[in-house]
Amino acid sequence: MPPAHAAAPRLPAIQTHRRQASGLVTLALALLGLLLAGMAHAQAVVRPVTSAQAVAVAEGGVPDWDKARTVQLPHEWDGQWPGPTGLAVYRVSVEPQSRDGSLVGVLIERACSSAQISVNGHLLHQAGRMAEPVARQCQEPRLVAIPAALLQTGSNTLEIRIKGFAPGEVASRTRAGGLSTVRIGPHHLLAQDSRLRDALAIQLPEVLSGTLVLMGGFMFVLGWFHRRQSYLAYFGALMVGWAVLLASAWATELPWANRSTELMLASLFGFIVLAGIQFMMRYTGNRLRWVDAGLPLQCGVLALSLVAAGPARLSLVASLWTAVLAAQTLAAAWYTIDAARRRHPEQLWLMVPLVGLLGAGLLAELVAVQLRLDVRLAQLAQLIAPLALIGLGLRLVQQYGRALQSAEQGRAELEVRIREATAQIERNFAQLAELKVEQVTERERKRIAADLHDDLGAKLLTIVHTSDNDRISTLAREALEEMRLSVRGLTGKPVRLSDALGDWRAEVVSRLAQSGIEAEWQSPSDDDVPQTLSARAFVQTTRILREAVSNIIKHSGASRCSIRCTVTEEDFQLVVQDNGKGIPVELDGRLDKGHGMASMKGRAKQLRGQCLVESGPGYGTVIRLTLPLEQHVTSA
Amino acid sequence: MNNILLLEDLPEIRAWLKSLVLQVFPTARITECSRVADALMQVSSGPRFELALVDLGLPDGSGTDVVAALRDNQPEAQSVVVTIHDDDEHLFPALQAGAYGYILKEQSREQITEQLTRISSGEPPLSPSIARKVIKYFAEQAKPQANAMPEVSLTERESEVLLRVAKGFTLPEIGVQLGLSRHTIADYVKQIYRKLNVSSRAEAALEAQRLGLFRR
Repeated sequence: MPPAHAAAPRLPAIQTHRRQASGLVTLALALLGLLLAGMAHAQAVVRPVTSAQAVAVAEGGVPDWDKARTVQLPHEWDGQWPGPTGLAVYRVSVEPQSRDGSLVGVLIERACSSAQISVNGHLLHQAGRMAEPVARQCQEPRLVAIPAALLQTGSNTLEIRIKGFAPGEVASRTRAGGLSTVRIGPHHLLAQDSRLRDALAIQLPEVLSGTLVLMGGFMFVLGWFHRRQSYLAYFGALMVGWAVLLASAWATELPWANRSTELMLASLFGFIVLAGIQFMMRYTGNRLRWVDAGLPLQCGVLALSLVAAGPARLSLVASLWTAVLAAQTLAAAWYTIDAARRRHPEQLWLMVPLVGLLGAGLLAELVAVQLRLDVRLAQLAQLIAPLALIGLGLRLVQQYGRALQSAEQGRAELEVRIREATAQIERNFAQLAELKVEQVTERERKRIAADLHDDLGAKLLTIVHTSDNDRISTLAREALEEMRLSVRGLTGKPVRLSDALGDWRAEVVSRLAQSGIEAEWQSPSDDDVPQTLSARAFVQTTRILREAVSNIIKHSGASRCSIRCTVTEEDFQLVVQDNGKGIPVELDGRLDKGHGMASMKGRAKQLRGQCLVESGPGYGTVIRLTLPLEQHVTSA
Repeated sequence: MNNILLLEDLPEIRAWLKSLVLQVFPTARITECSRVADALMQVSSGPRFELALVDLGLPDGSGTDVVAALRDNQPEAQSVVVTIHDDDEHLFPALQAGAYGYILKEQSREQITEQLTRISSGEPPLSPSIARKVIKYFAEQAKPQANAMPEVSLTERESEVLLRVAKGFTLPEIGVQLGLSRHTIADYVKQIYRKLNVSSRAEAALEAQRLGLFRR
């Protein structure tokens, strides 16, 4: 995992984490206050028994009360007592009845690992197996009600038979055999106390175990499938490992012997330290190959050394390993914090509370156990670490979610950009294709035009200048002109109307002048005609005009000709008027076809315009040509 | 007229043109070519021509090259384009290369002989579309550019003549409008052709220099 990537989403979350940490501290203080209040209340009436007669039970199972000795409660077993059987019986005297006549109860905070309680020889309580696999009920407070019928008026005897293990046989001192203070008093008061103790010792660890397993499993899967966030997988493993550790508080009936359980629990520390160190390293982006390889190896060595140490020295070896692992954890924590401080100081907001809170929890537990403080302090302390882990897990998931969200957002943005780019490319491609088609069309038109000019044009030209027949050469010349106009219509660009008027004027006026006809041309000035004509319209109009002028020159005998051009928004009109003899009407009422009137009208119709011819003998001829204009206005 | 170059690929038309030229200039010696390569060789090593009638579309190239070669080697020769192309797309490059006018081939013998006489006497034709193209060309030359162009610009009168031609007025009409003789108007037109050629050559040289063809 690249360090920059890990650091990216963390900056804005510093404040959130501060609030989380202070919330946890408040919660813990409130819980402690509640406990102490409950304790004070119970102590007012309940009588704690601090000494008892104790006897070790030999192989036969029958206690020899002659060998009994007085012990101070709480009493912890040592290596010698009660000996290889691990069985001991404690005897305490009970007052006949309570002062107010309520039900009498006995509360035993701790009878490790499994216990039978009887009064005056009557068995009242047995929660688990007394032989291997022995029930593991070290943390479980036991509340027993003593029926009034069993109590005699004189002295009553409360017997507590315990099956336990020597301190050397267990990995943690909290699981060594022993008996706590015995509290005798009104059952309802003891029940209150017991409920609190039960919650602290059993229920809370159960809840936290479940939570850790769920969250840890979830995070493990998350990290497993997102290798860049492999620290999530290690954190998940850490949580699951801790859940198993915590389960030792409430999982009482296991199908295998104490030694196997103790070996497992001691080995578990190796795994937890592996997961914790790997999490810290990978979270801060420090991955060391030798650590990757060394930690699993250490787990194996740890398990093997525990097995090799034998049952009696389990505690010693486990303690040594605990010291080694603690030192490793501290070193790793220091290393990663130091690295983070230099490279990504913002990561410290996650690392320091984790290490601090975990360390504080473990230290408090250790101190409480070693100094033999109230068992509830140790139980409370053991809840701090899981809570810290859960808080941290939530924070990591939140970070992950935020990173996912921003990645999703980035992906969405990218998608939008890709769509835009695709659209752009498609647009460009379409434009390019259009351009290409235009170019190809243009090239093809030019080729056709060149062919027409070079082949057809040359042949027509030869006919024009070599034919002896005037009519044929005239026809060929006309054909050549037609061809040229066709080519122009084929290849030409739109023509500005003002330019077209200039061309027409030059042609018409010079042709009429050559024929000795006086010409008068009227057209609007350039500024009034911004419209354009398509090449086709220009060519067809040129033909019509040429035909009209030819008619005047050839047939009309006119001496004057006027051409008026008017332009409106929608169309333009050309009026060609001469003072000649007019066009003779044929017998069928039509105008002379030889004058090309039909072709002029046909051309005008093709352009969606019209060509009207008014003529009468002696009145001259008026040709009115009206053509629609293209609606767009040229900018040039 | 002594030496006349005639470049035309079609034999019938060439013969027809030759008879036509002889009609106008009976004493002329006519050098006939049917290919651009022949004409170029004649221009570089042949006699000094006074007039050249050059077709544009030829099998082995464009007559424009011959016009340009004449301009370079024999500046006193008058090049006249003889063509069936009446559109400015074909004509304008030839005019830029130094042609003094053009004749459309399909015209009648009378029309052509008249035009030939006019051109040789210094009255080249100018159509509205060519005039518009010349106006546009000089307008673009006048635009401020990074390259310093040799100052070739039209006088006010020349511009005036061009504008009127573009609007469709004939040269005699313009002479009347401006109160000038037809010879003066013809001189303006010749000047316009000359300046078009000079400016185009300068532009071509500048373009070549820009492309690194020349080294200084």
